[in-house]
Parts: sequence; C-alpha cells; structure tokens
Amino acid sequence: VAKTSLTSPPWPEVKLPDPVEEAKYHAEVVQKVNKMIATGQYGRLFAVVHFASKQWKITSEDLIMMDNVLEAECGDRIRMEKVLLVGADDFTLIGRPLLGKDLVRVEATVIEKTESWPKINMRFRRRHNYQRKKIIMNPQTVLRINTIEIFPCLS
Amino acid sequence: MVLLSAPRWLRSRLTDRFWRVQEVLKYARHFRGRKNRCYKLAVRSVRRAFVKSTKARREKKRILRALWITRIEAASLEHGLKYPTFISNLLKSQVELNRKVIADLAIYEPKTFKSLAALAQRRRQEGFLAALGDGKEPEGIFSRIVHHY
Repeated sequence: VAKTSLTSPPWPEVKLPDPVEEAKYHAEVVQKVNKMIATGQYGRLFAVVHFASKQWKITSEDLIMMDNVLEAECGDRIRMEKVLLVGADDFTLIGRPLLGKDLVRVEATVIEKTESWPKINMRFRRRHNYQRKKIIMNPQTVLRINTIEIFPCLS
Repeated sequence: MVLLSAPRWLRSRLTDRFWRVQEVLKYARHFRGRKNRCYKLAVRSVRRAFVKSTKARREKKRILRALWITRIEAASLEHGLKYPTFISNLLKSQVELNRKVIADLAIYEPKTFKSLAALAQRRRQEGFLAALGDGKEPEGIFSRIVHHY
C-alpha cells in the first residue's frame, strides 16, 4: 500500500530500549557507583535538603540562615533527615522524593540565634490622614553544615 | 522629665527637636537633591520609601520565582526540552525539587541538570507510550460504521 500523509501518525514514533537489557545496564551502573562510594572516589559532596519548609543546596562547611526559631541550643549538633538529592562530580543520587536515611547523613551545628535587622512596615493612604508604622525584627538561626556523608547501600 | 505641677507643665518647652528630626533624616541621607537635607521634603520621601519597601517585599517573591522559571527554561531548552514539559515530567517522576534549587543546579551543577533533563525526557516518552496503548481496538464496540436507513 502506498504511503500517504495519513498512514503513520503525525507525531514521531517513540521506541523505548529493551527492558531486559536495560535492567542489566542499570544493575551494572548501580554496582559501579556503589564501588565508587565504598572506595571513596568522590571529591566534595553537595546535597539538597528540605529544612524549615525551604529547600537548600548545601555543601560541607557552609552557613545557612533561617528566618525562624529552632528549639535547639547554640552548639547542638543536628542531623537533617529530609535529603532530596546528593551529588558529587561523577554521580548524583536523586531521591523520589526523598533519599533513605541509611544512605545519606547530613550533620549541622547551631551557631547563632539572633534577631534580624529592624524591618519597617509602613502603610500610608494619601489625603486621608492614615499612616501606620511598625518595626519588625524576626528571630533568626544560623547553622553551619559540618559534614555530608554517603554510605554504599545502593541496590 | 517629671514635672510635678500644672504651672511647670505650662512652662515646658520642646528640647529634643533635633533628635526627632535626625530620626527621619538618617533614613534620607542617601537620597538625591534637597530631600536628603531638608526635613519637610525628607519626611515625604522617607514615608514613600518605607511604603515602597513594604510592597516590594511582597513582590520580591513573585519576581524571584519568575527569574528562576526563566533560568530553568533557558537551561532546559539547551537540552532540547521546554519548561512545561520539563517540570511536569519531573513532578510525575516524583522528584520534588523546587524552582530555586533547580535553577541553582542549572547554573552550578550542569551535569546534574543534564541528568534531570534526561529523566524528564524518558518519563515523557513512557507517558506517550502509555497513552497510545497497544494499537488495538477497544472492547465492547462491534461496528465502527454508521448505517443510515
């Protein structure tokens, strides 16, 4: 039968690779990454952590400031549990949506608990003699990320 | 000062006018023109500045989100995907990274962003195949031809 413009659908045909071969390839890659983690062939690790209702992209030795109070004293070590992504130079581990607690460990210390600089809230309506001024100082906490560690328990 | 009788109250004068004026002028020192020196002009400018800063604090969240979206769109177009495709397929693959973090990854971790784009592309193709189905006719229909009598 001759090929017309309506023989095949107008969208490009999509072919997925063979599932058996793909499973083999995936297992190989996982083995390789596991070995790399076990032997420690990675440089600096970065992680994406969900903390204080925000997501932060962090590495070791960096400072984080959040606009709220943390119920921990200064100098307490904290472990952050909701890790979404961990990566190094050659590999990344993407969580769906979170990574396991036995796979990553992110430690941080509370350094400072202060108030923010005085922010001024002002409302003004012209010609109506209405103005309100309020000074707001939010409590802030500063954390330092000590370490990010990964363990070779991929499967 | 504690003034203990009415005659003393009547005789009191305002003594800290300088500091009340400085309280306002200190916020106007970096303005342009006479409004950084003259109190009457400065009061109006400082009031407008405070009101604008309160409103801007609410707009900043919208502006930053639009900026992140623009950056993610640019980065995903480099990998051959459009922004709505990228984001919807990432969400369907249960990756819940927000736009701020994806924009940071696109700038500082290009390899990671490339892998996210590949993940989104693969999920898109799987979605197409699932939607197209097997190519057979659906059950329960015995004829596709309509007879007009």
